[in-house]
Amino acid sequence: MKKVLLALMLAAGTVHTAQAEDVLHLYNWNNYIAPETVKNFEKSCKCRVVQDYYGAMEEMLAKLAAGAKGYDVVIPTGFAIPPMIKQNLLQPLDKSKLANAKNVSPAFMNTQFDQGNKYSLPYSFSTTLVGYNDKKIKELGINPSSWAIIFDPAVLAKIKGKVTVLDDSREVFAAALMYNGYSANSTKPEEWKKAQETIIKAKPFWAAFNAQSYIKELTLGNIWVAHGYSSDMFQANIDAKAAKRNFGVAYGLQKEGNTLSLDSMVVLKTAPRPDLAAKFVNFMLDGKNASELTNMIGTGTPNAAAAPFVKPEMKQNSAVFPSAEQMKKLQQLTALEGKALRDLNRMWTQVKTAK
Amino acid sequence: MAKSNRINKWLISGPPLLYLIIFFAIPSLIMAFAAFRFPGDYGGLLPLIGPNPDTGANELLVTAENWRDYLTFENFGLFFTDSIYVELFAKSFWYAGITTLICLAMAYPLAWLIARSPKKYRDLMILLVILPFWSNFLIRVYAWMIILGPQGYFSMAINQVLGLIGIGPVQLMFSHVAVIIVLVYVHLPFMVLPLYANLEKHDMALLDAAQDLGASGWQRFWKITWPLSLPGVWAGAALVFIPALGMFAVPDLVGGTDGIMIGNLIKQQFLDSRDWPFGSVLSIMLTLAVLLLAGFAALIGRGGKRNAL
Repeated sequence: MKKVLLALMLAAGTVHTAQAEDVLHLYNWNNYIAPETVKNFEKSCKCRVVQDYYGAMEEMLAKLAAGAKGYDVVIPTGFAIPPMIKQNLLQPLDKSKLANAKNVSPAFMNTQFDQGNKYSLPYSFSTTLVGYNDKKIKELGINPSSWAIIFDPAVLAKIKGKVTVLDDSREVFAAALMYNGYSANSTKPEEWKKAQETIIKAKPFWAAFNAQSYIKELTLGNIWVAHGYSSDMFQANIDAKAAKRNFGVAYGLQKEGNTLSLDSMVVLKTAPRPDLAAKFVNFMLDGKNASELTNMIGTGTPNAAAAPFVKPEMKQNSAVFPSAEQMKKLQQLTALEGKALRDLNRMWTQVKTAK
Repeated sequence: MAKSNRINKWLISGPPLLYLIIFFAIPSLIMAFAAFRFPGDYGGLLPLIGPNPDTGANELLVTAENWRDYLTFENFGLFFTDSIYVELFAKSFWYAGITTLICLAMAYPLAWLIARSPKKYRDLMILLVILPFWSNFLIRVYAWMIILGPQGYFSMAINQVLGLIGIGPVQLMFSHVAVIIVLVYVHLPFMVLPLYANLEKHDMALLDAAQDLGASGWQRFWKITWPLSLPGVWAGAALVFIPALGMFAVPDLVGGTDGIMIGNLIKQQFLDSRDWPFGSVLSIMLTLAVLLLAGFAALIGRGGKRNAL
């Protein structure tokens, strides 16, 4: 009996090592690929996927800059791609192995961050918007489709202490700039000043700057309005339903415009398995596989071939499927450098310490 | 004999000394140097060594003519151009100070009680004091977020009581009060342990003698127990004050819109704003402020001892 066991263990061990030879290392945002999708890919490539996660671009960039190796594919947001290119971290994509690249909608190709898509291909996108407790906001008769819901003191008076905004200087300033009718990417000092005034006037009505726990606070009903990412609001609504709350978490775009974060797949220069990396990128660009990101994670899809597979209720959601008209009002944030970054940093500290 | 003694001394003190030099002294010096440099494009610092455009070989880019492009006092200037940084320092000291005082007020009776309990229970009681350390710090803070949240029973009970005396509901979560409550909770054991270690050693005969000589309960505490326990008080205060001062996770999680402390600002420089030089300046200023305070406390402490003699 013991011998049988030993043999079994040895066999298991050898099977395991045989598999271990084909491993794709994916470095991705938390909760940014459905487990089902991973399983399907493992089946199709006959390999194993090992995931590692980051919670912010700064974290990912810092880790790679410090020399972390062993990852094949990373999924950065637009503004993080130029630093990766300049630091010589990426390898050009071999388009001959990526037949599905044609599925990407032209609107998401050739962005300012990687002209010609030499290094990156779009994965999915989220919008930064306002999510809210549908019952409370209806009761109070507040219109959630304008940034006024987080910036206008007259509106905020009804929901004082029940609002959180992201703890992210770029996103909060972008929202305030758009509320004032400026570009989200403006760096004009007088426009920044105006945005800062808007923020400081609204701040006494906010409960907190929160990027960590607003999903939970919304789901519990502690917070009624949160500035955050569309995919998080999707998650909050699922959680609220699962907890059988008497309210849902609704979300939609603001009429003044929103920011859009497009995440793309890149292959690292140090990738141990560029062949598997190419297979993975091609797999995720397939219409059906891309649609799972929308159906299960709640992100927008830059993939034109995904539309037929997307659930009808997701298609009706303008935060996930913006119309051509709304698309024009979505802006991707550019990377700030040097003096502009320092100025914003100082203005943000002033906001944080303002009474 | 003397020689081998000296070797033994080095063998014992060498490893920790080496550890402190490598992981404390050298990084501190690097940080002090970083405070005079310019930020790099994508975090880090503007490199001093880079490829020569003509030859392509790596070489030192700084020369006698261009050192102003690489070294600067501007980062320190930034600290003083706007009063917000100094105000934030003051606020953080205030938070840490209040936390230390509340911890002291709560820990002193507790430590005294444990020290005066029958010996067989003392270890168990000390174990109970450090029990919270068995779970992760962040989990404990998240538990407080639930307790203080408007749907939590603690919050609801407090608002019920306030409602009876006609005061409107208060929000506990995301407030200064929440930051102080959690800071006190997190640091309380660090005050109890040194106080207990001190109080346990007190000679009870002194108190009996004082009583025989007609001292009241209050006089016995104020003239005997308190002065004797001062080393424990100072040790506990330092163990609470210094970590509380640099805390960033607690204000991040339970603080309101103006709850940030100096730790949050330093974290913001290194991560979000990618401005290592200014982050270094803030860290150096914080270290200096703590050293100044420690020196001041040492002076007072010495003065107190002289009076006692």
